[in-house]
Amino acid sequence: MDKKTFDPDLIHAIFKQIWTKRAKERERNQSIDAVDAEVGACTSKKGRSTSANANALKLSSELLQIFISEAVQRAATIAEAEGGREIEATHVERILPQLLLDF
Amino acid sequence: MEVDGEKSDVEREEEDEESVTDVLKDRFRLSAIPIAEEEAKRNGMEISAPIVACIVDLAFKYTENLAKDLELFAQHAGRKSVNTEDVILSAHRNEHLAATLRSFCEELKAKEPQSERKRKKGSKKDDKATTSVVDISDL
Repeated sequence: MDKKTFDPDLIHAIFKQIWTKRAKERERNQSIDAVDAEVGACTSKKGRSTSANANALKLSSELLQIFISEAVQRAATIAEAEGGREIEATHVERILPQLLLDF
Repeated sequence: MEVDGEKSDVEREEEDEESVTDVLKDRFRLSAIPIAEEEAKRNGMEISAPIVACIVDLAFKYTENLAKDLELFAQHAGRKSVNTEDVILSAHRNEHLAATLRSFCEELKAKEPQSERKRKKGSKKDDKATTSVVDISDL
């Protein structure tokens, strides 16, 4: 069976956007927050944001795919135990706390 | 520190960022929805579109948190680049998940040992046994 996964480039784009945003925020707060400034000074010179290597992105794609599969699978288990044929909102609600603790 | 003119610049920047986020979110939905639907089908369950959307949005939020975590982990290790160890570390609370990720990581390394930086896609279609269930305790 062909397994559907995320495109690592898409994940990279999402990560990159967050990292750039945070790098900008850090720069803006540099004079205000002394601790942040210290972190920013040694890690991001002039808005240089974090980057990621290819395998890390592939691994993140896999992690997200597992996250979604787990959510659906656990909800399906609950739905099955209740004798239903459809996953409903209540099923997702019930698996949510443990799912969030596990990821 | 912010002058009026500068502030409007910042605001415009934020608006741009929002639209970029929306585009990314839509692209994320496009790849995530089939994953969720396929998983439901595999379990012989029907799943309605709003529930899928809910799970996918949750996954997007999780992605955003993951990005922050990975950045912090890399920074803590004194690196500017996120590597696979950081991703595995992000799953440290769940031993089973961490083990799954570690074995996936080994597979990736085995596939391209010398050219780690070159991004190769489309050649990874093997069925890996990654859809393992973690125990649900309240059943």
